[in-house]
Amino acid sequence: MINLIYNEQLKLLRKKRLYVIMVMIFILVSLFTYAQYKQTNELIEKMGHVNWRVQLQQKIVDTQNRLNSTNIPNDFKQTLKIQVSQQQYYLDHNIDPAAPGAPTFMRIFIENAISLLLPLLVLVIASDLVSSEYSNGTIKLLLTRPVKRWKILMSKYFALLLSISLILFCMALFSYLISGLIFGYNGWSLPMITGFKADGNTLNTTGAYTIPLWKYVVIEYGLAWFVGVVVGALTLLLSVLIRSTAAVMGIMLASLIAGAILVNMVSSWHSAKYLFMLNLQLTHYIHGTNPPITGMTLGFSLIVLLIWLVISIIFSFAIFTKQDVY
Amino acid sequence: MNKKIILIFTSISILSAFICFLGLFWAVFDKHDTIQSNKRVDHVNSEEKKNSSNTVHIVALGDSLTRGIGDDKGKGYVGDLKDMLIKKSKKKIQVTNHAIGGQTSSELLKQLKQPEVRRQLRQADIILISTGANDLFQGGAALDHLNMSYFNSIEKRYLVNAKHVYSTLRSLNSHATVFHIGLYNPFIDLEQSKLTSKMVSKWNVDNANLTRDYKKMIYVPTFDLFQLNVNDYLYSDKFHPNTKGYQLIAERVVSLIVFHEEGK
Amino acid sequence: MTLQPALTVRNLYKRMGRKDIIKGVSFDVFPGEVFGFLGPNGAGKTTTIRMIVGLIKPTSGDIFIAGHNIRTQFTKAMQQLGCIVENPELYDYLSGRENLEYFARMDRSIDKKRIEEVTKLVKLESRIHDRVKTYSLGMRQRLGIAQALLSGPKLLILDEPTNGLDPAGIHEMREFIRSLAKESQLSVLVSSHLLSEIQLLCDRVAIMTNGEVIKTDRVSSLLTTKEKVIWNVSPISKAREILQKETDVTEHLEGLITPYSEENVSLWNKKLVNKGVQVNEIKKMKPALEDLFLELTGGKKSD
Repeated sequence: MINLIYNEQLKLLRKKRLYVIMVMIFILVSLFTYAQYKQTNELIEKMGHVNWRVQLQQKIVDTQNRLNSTNIPNDFKQTLKIQVSQQQYYLDHNIDPAAPGAPTFMRIFIENAISLLLPLLVLVIASDLVSSEYSNGTIKLLLTRPVKRWKILMSKYFALLLSISLILFCMALFSYLISGLIFGYNGWSLPMITGFKADGNTLNTTGAYTIPLWKYVVIEYGLAWFVGVVVGALTLLLSVLIRSTAAVMGIMLASLIAGAILVNMVSSWHSAKYLFMLNLQLTHYIHGTNPPITGMTLGFSLIVLLIWLVISIIFSFAIFTKQDVY
Repeated sequence: MNKKIILIFTSISILSAFICFLGLFWAVFDKHDTIQSNKRVDHVNSEEKKNSSNTVHIVALGDSLTRGIGDDKGKGYVGDLKDMLIKKSKKKIQVTNHAIGGQTSSELLKQLKQPEVRRQLRQADIILISTGANDLFQGGAALDHLNMSYFNSIEKRYLVNAKHVYSTLRSLNSHATVFHIGLYNPFIDLEQSKLTSKMVSKWNVDNANLTRDYKKMIYVPTFDLFQLNVNDYLYSDKFHPNTKGYQLIAERVVSLIVFHEEGK
Repeated sequence: MTLQPALTVRNLYKRMGRKDIIKGVSFDVFPGEVFGFLGPNGAGKTTTIRMIVGLIKPTSGDIFIAGHNIRTQFTKAMQQLGCIVENPELYDYLSGRENLEYFARMDRSIDKKRIEEVTKLVKLESRIHDRVKTYSLGMRQRLGIAQALLSGPKLLILDEPTNGLDPAGIHEMREFIRSLAKESQLSVLVSSHLLSEIQLLCDRVAIMTNGEVIKTDRVSSLLTTKEKVIWNVSPISKAREILQKETDVTEHLEGLITPYSEENVSLWNKKLVNKGVQVNEIKKMKPALEDLFLELTGGKKSD
């Protein structure tokens, strides 16, 4: 088995896809760092100072004023209300949720990457893992070895897990190193509040508690990892089924983007909460943002994703070990 | 060569996988000690007071008037005032506007309980407030059933709140000058103008009387500014001032501020 | 039986949808022989081969490789098998050596030395560290064979091994396959739609059409039964008259054709000469498998 995994790793590295992904992450992180830097600068210019309390209070007031305008849709209003009470909570407990520093940037980066960027990068790896063997014809060589088919697929799953972990590692490392150049490398022990519960339009803070930022970051990356694994398994299932890298990419891309769009408009379509792509924003639960559909919780989303994961693993193994190769 | 790279990548991946899994585990199973209040507040405050001597801190509170609703430029009298002060004074002017459209006096009282608002008020050199208009007019909705007895009950309630507001401000900050922007009558051109004007005047007089009990607290009249040609100074909603209207209010407040600074 | 067949195929069926595309194929391949698998495109050769190598699951029937049933002893059976199915598709972003290492890693019984051995065997030493991307088709084919020989199999399966090679390459490949069979007692199963290919390469042949094996025999015995004689004579009409009394005659570009029979040819010749026909040439012709094939399948209309 270790030999098989080694083989998969060899192919991934020699195909240079991993390097491409690393370069992509590097570029994107640099871009985001610059954007963040610009934004901070503009704030300083506008507000005349960088006291986060003033900024946050200003944000609260701004949002409250927005709430007063009549032409905001109701569900958006709810989100805003929850945002306000959360910001107020941070303010009341004298905790800056966006204290500048590389760890904060890491947190913001993964929160933004979890629903689209990370799945896309996973997609690049996973879509190729099985279907490229079909399109190159090498599957014939692979399956005529004295190795059972399930072991071959299993080695691909392991390679996928390793790649996802590597992607997250690169995201964490690059965002830490690059953003640290500008924002400084400190702030790991900063307290963060989590455990908010959004009930309709109120924020339930009874379960709230603080954890140090490093733990918060680890938790968020853990959730992102899980999202990556689910997306990867789904992609692998598709590539076992369809055997064409391009088609797999197309389908997964379409559903991910559909998810990103749907998140903003499905509040009244309740059964949509069972779609995997609406459950990708796991970090929102840690953060305490209003979920796309009321009633969705971290537990719910994790279970939905887990079911998708298990189903795609079962199906991909069942199909891969049975199917005829022409 | 190949082998080394693969082994390095793989071990990094495995390490990362473990960390991520730990994170996932924490996300699912970890519940923590409830929130601990942070003790840094006071220490930060003293720190900030020191470096604020060269700037004028202005904190604005209140309703849509202070927010600046109706001004096409989005500045409101607070923004105009800031611009005028920058021209006049060499000091740095720093404005924080906490006004919320539609706020009533009791809502203002609630806002005054927020620690961050209190913290900023403590540091303020000038405090601007506007409140009462929403108590009285309720955004114009009260126009239909206005009568004196109703007015009296509202005013009574308001004055209690206002007193509370003033004493809170003074207890937080005894050195800042407080400007309370008075009411004008947006309905002066409407049929019940006699009644509404009477109400607004009485309201202003009673409120101004109340401010006299406090030091460095000025009730800024605006009734006269809008008395003539009210429509020239009102926004299309016929309730909020327009850009010109805000300019008038700002000019009046600025003249008071300059006077005050010289007097110092 | 002293020899255990390297490959035994028994009653193999494959059903696709409602149609049987392989209808009860059975044959054996013995150690040291090159076995040809002959049939037109679409006859089911490739499907049968893919079933033998485990890529397609048979609907029914059994396949034994060196005595191991591929259904129940898949890994043991596969250890005795080396194959190239259709084109030798290798990982072209890896070097030849890396490809061999890659496949060696998938089978614990292969040791490092074996990689050098097979490289030498297929004469790829000079280019083994280059990327497969840069290889010519012939080199790829050789690397494919090296890969197939890696585990020291008892059975080598080559699907259309000379497809796309130039004449020199074809000749080389043929020699190579023959020497493999001879020197290491390897059984080789070769499929082809080219009859000349099989004729030159194989000891025995199974002729397949429409998903059935219609004949399995030694190539030499198949051929001797169908030898012919070409008569280059003039005048043709007179000669035909004479020969028609003796045997079947067909007309041909070069003259007349009759079946070959050792004792009669000289007799017929004497008769022709006696009757004043000028006999320029009598040519014995080994038949091409084409004729054989047409003969075997011609009568049957595919349904």
